[in-house]
Amino acid sequence: MNKKFYLNRLGRTVLTLIGVSLIAFLILHLAPGDPARIMLGQFATEENIELFRARYRLDEPLPVQYGSWIAGVLRGDLGTSIRYNRPVGELILTRLRPTLLLTVSALILAVILGFTLGILAAIKKNSWLDYLTTVQAMFWISIPAFWLGILFLYFFGLRLRWFPIGGMVGVVSLVLPVLALGLREEAWFARPMRAEMLEVLNQAYIRSARARGIRERVIITKHAMRNALIPLVTMIALRLPWIIGGSVVIEVVFSWGGMGSLLVNSVLARDYPVVQAILLLIAFAVVMANLIADMLYSVIDPRIRLED
Amino acid sequence: MADSISYEEIQRDIANLKKERTSQLALVWSRFKKNRLALIGGIIVTIMVLTAIFAPLIAPHDPYRTAPLRRLEAPSLEHPLGTDAMGRDLLSRLIYGARVELSLGILIILFEGTIGITLGLLAGYFGGWVDSLVMRLVDILRSFPVIILAMAIAGIMGQGVYNVVIALGIVGWTTFARMVRSKILSIKESDYVEAAHSIGESTSSVLLRYILPNAVSTAIIMVCIMMPTALIASATLSFLGLGVQPPTASWGSIIAAGRDYLLQAPWISTTAGIFIMFTVLGFNFIGDGLRDAVDPTSDRS
Repeated sequence: MNKKFYLNRLGRTVLTLIGVSLIAFLILHLAPGDPARIMLGQFATEENIELFRARYRLDEPLPVQYGSWIAGVLRGDLGTSIRYNRPVGELILTRLRPTLLLTVSALILAVILGFTLGILAAIKKNSWLDYLTTVQAMFWISIPAFWLGILFLYFFGLRLRWFPIGGMVGVVSLVLPVLALGLREEAWFARPMRAEMLEVLNQAYIRSARARGIRERVIITKHAMRNALIPLVTMIALRLPWIIGGSVVIEVVFSWGGMGSLLVNSVLARDYPVVQAILLLIAFAVVMANLIADMLYSVIDPRIRLED
Repeated sequence: MADSISYEEIQRDIANLKKERTSQLALVWSRFKKNRLALIGGIIVTIMVLTAIFAPLIAPHDPYRTAPLRRLEAPSLEHPLGTDAMGRDLLSRLIYGARVELSLGILIILFEGTIGITLGLLAGYFGGWVDSLVMRLVDILRSFPVIILAMAIAGIMGQGVYNVVIALGIVGWTTFARMVRSKILSIKESDYVEAAHSIGESTSSVLLRYILPNAVSTAIIMVCIMMPTALIASATLSFLGLGVQPPTASWGSIIAAGRDYLLQAPWISTTAGIFIMFTVLGFNFIGDGLRDAVDPTSDRS
């Protein structure tokens, strides 16, 4: 039973990874017309287009192109950027650290804030605090990330001059992007956390703990909160693609030299080897995070294995 | 023959069950009306929709008439929200922007809804390999952040309104498919569908007359839940220069244009964002109220 669950889950992961790579590959061929012409633009000469086609093997049939691309990826060769004429892997590697710094900090902020607010709202159900948590969450999820970034940039950067308005100069330049990304994301943790905590508080063992006369504080911190924490793993994995998506926009607003701004610039310049590689990398990270979350979840809460 | 049920009695039961559905809908409506936030949401969305429809009547100026000598003017009586970098009246552009943004949202929902509802219905009703196939596809697409995949697709297809719709539709249908599928699964198990099968209703009749009407409330909730994502994502694409292109007045591109003049004319980016925020907030309030009204036990009670 146990082994079957893990094998099943692994099989699904492999299938998803293959599908993801297919999509990242096929995106270039989605538009009608010649990919070489699309990437080089309308002013490219015939000669250049021919050279380009030969270099990127665009004349070969699609399955062959896909095969050689994947073989390269598996060897660690992500292709060559058209715009920079440098290996894509190298480009991404230099941009990886700033992006990780931004997304991980924002995620930590979001989880801590969301968790605290969600738990408090559940404990003080139907109080003003509960109501406020709901309403503030609604406001955050209604604000586009890029606009929040611009607002912060304007008020705290340009007006108050508390923080630099862009670039990466030390920890201070991290503050605004992390706030813009993390505060918005908090809303997505606060509400499910509240619902989870409410459900846990309704369980029989909480009632019996109360009946045994255990102090409310102990019940909440020792009995309830621990169990409400379990779904947090899954929540983080579910929100990961959204945080990464948000970070791309935030990076553009704050001129943050990470993978997100590289991606946007590459899309605008039609540097598709870079776009495909970043798509593949991000999807890979998301798939793996989901796998890890499921595995962790089934270890913490063995009931889940029987359901699949 | 006292313990067996006659055909007429089964028919009466089905009729009663059907009646229960309508009263349930009335119940949902009465719960929804009591929700103050949902009411506020309804008012906001109504105002925005009316603004979009009557834009030519409401807008004080032509949103496309440039006036190079009156660029970046601060808000005044003539220009209530000031002018942009080309001297165009900002309020008029924002009012016309409601048209662009809402029609984009509706088109995106229609497109992704058509794909999502069809695939979700098929997956839920037929199960088996159809279900596995659809769900694997959903898994694959959901591994990409919505905005990133849409960006890449819009980038390769070129800018423009319809490409935004296609890019976001291809990426966004998975939520619809999943919700429809799970709704169908629960309806399929219900007594009245079983009863309909037992009196010999055909598959298509069960799908159309019994399952679809019961999925309608889900569909309405879905539209309200999906609208915020569609609006924010399309505005984000426009902001990044991959969506609606200037001079067309879209909120996203107005924010992008105002970004270069934050110090001289902060009202451009800020007011455009407020329009987006309130519209999205309106839909979120309605969606939330509907969800609570349909399933009062799920959240707060």
